[in-house]
Amino acid sequence: MSSTETPLDLTPVAPPRSPSRSRWRSIAVLVVLAGAIIALLSQGLLHSLNYFETVDQVLAKRASFGTEVMRLEGVVKPGTIERNANGASFALEGSGAETVFVDAHGSPPQLFQANIPVVVVGHFTTKTGLDFNGTQILVKHTASYIAKYPNRVKAPNGTTR
Amino acid sequence: MIKDLSQRLLGPVTLVLLALTIWLGLWVTPPDAVQGNLVRLVYVHPSVAWVALYVSFGTATIASALYLWRRTRSMVMDRVAHCAMEVAVVFIALTLITGSIWGRPTWGVWWAWDARLTTTAILGVLALGYLALRRANDDPLLRARRGAVYAVLAAINVPIIHFSVDWWKTLHQGATVFTVNGKILIHGIQLWTLLMSFVAFTLLFIWLLRARYRLEVRRDAVSSTQLAQALVTRQREGAQ
Repeated sequence: MSSTETPLDLTPVAPPRSPSRSRWRSIAVLVVLAGAIIALLSQGLLHSLNYFETVDQVLAKRASFGTEVMRLEGVVKPGTIERNANGASFALEGSGAETVFVDAHGSPPQLFQANIPVVVVGHFTTKTGLDFNGTQILVKHTASYIAKYPNRVKAPNGTTR
Repeated sequence: MIKDLSQRLLGPVTLVLLALTIWLGLWVTPPDAVQGNLVRLVYVHPSVAWVALYVSFGTATIASALYLWRRTRSMVMDRVAHCAMEVAVVFIALTLITGSIWGRPTWGVWWAWDARLTTTAILGVLALGYLALRRANDDPLLRARRGAVYAVLAAINVPIIHFSVDWWKTLHQGATVFTVNGKILIHGIQLWTLLMSFVAFTLLFIWLLRARYRLEVRRDAVSSTQLAQALVTRQREGAQ
């Protein structure tokens, strides 16, 4: 350490902050943090940890759901999709034979198709009926990935894909 | 010698594996039967989430726990925890962004307040909270202790995120590789490319962590040197 180095700024500095000040700042951080987490949780999870009700669950306790707004999950029954100017109508099935008829407004997601699980936001039109008026369709794709052309996977130069 | 070599090779190997992942993911692997070309995001999003949740947040948690344990307590552990958490913030943000980009065309929405997405967003807030808490404390020892306790407590959210798709009904799909019954739901070149992406992004994390750690060490060294210089100068002033 030679005296030829750049002179240091030795003007008096403020004393280090006291631990109590650090404590209060830490508490402030934790309070803001708690507020942010509660705000995130309040967007949905505080009401219900489950994002939707399945068709099976709803059909088992149909009367208790009435006409309240809900998210209904089921599989789109093949051969029932009818697209129209407002959106699409289709039947939603669970594990049983009974189905819910959905009339949904708005354009469905690009993966919407028969045999795919969907979540429909909306409500039943009557307290005990099975007609569902949807305002939004969400596709819930599965965790399985299947190659479209499993026997044609090769290098891109080549040949087959 | 081997350590030097591995450190020298870390960057190039990471870049090669990332390039390979991109090449395989975009050009070689086939489209999915249902998702079509959207499936190509599977070679980015899960591996980024893997690094965010388990590798980086996990490293920060383990280093914090080691700091709290008297026998392994050192500022090295505190520094590792701090640097890993900074990298975790980046990867959590990337997880949410890539998930959103994938969600829009598949689900039909950018975001859904289901248990998986919400708890992941909370993890991001918790990681930012860790960094804020560190800045709120000036004393290095106090900062290290409070940060370590906080990181260990915040890590409780990681298993909640992991099992959220099994415990509750979510719009986010379940696990594809780390399934409860051990059955892997992706096969062939799709699986190998996915596994390569996991390795590539893990190496990227190590690379970033190492760079960030070295920066922190140098910053500490500069602070110590400046302090020593100031003390010497004061002593000389006193001697005059």
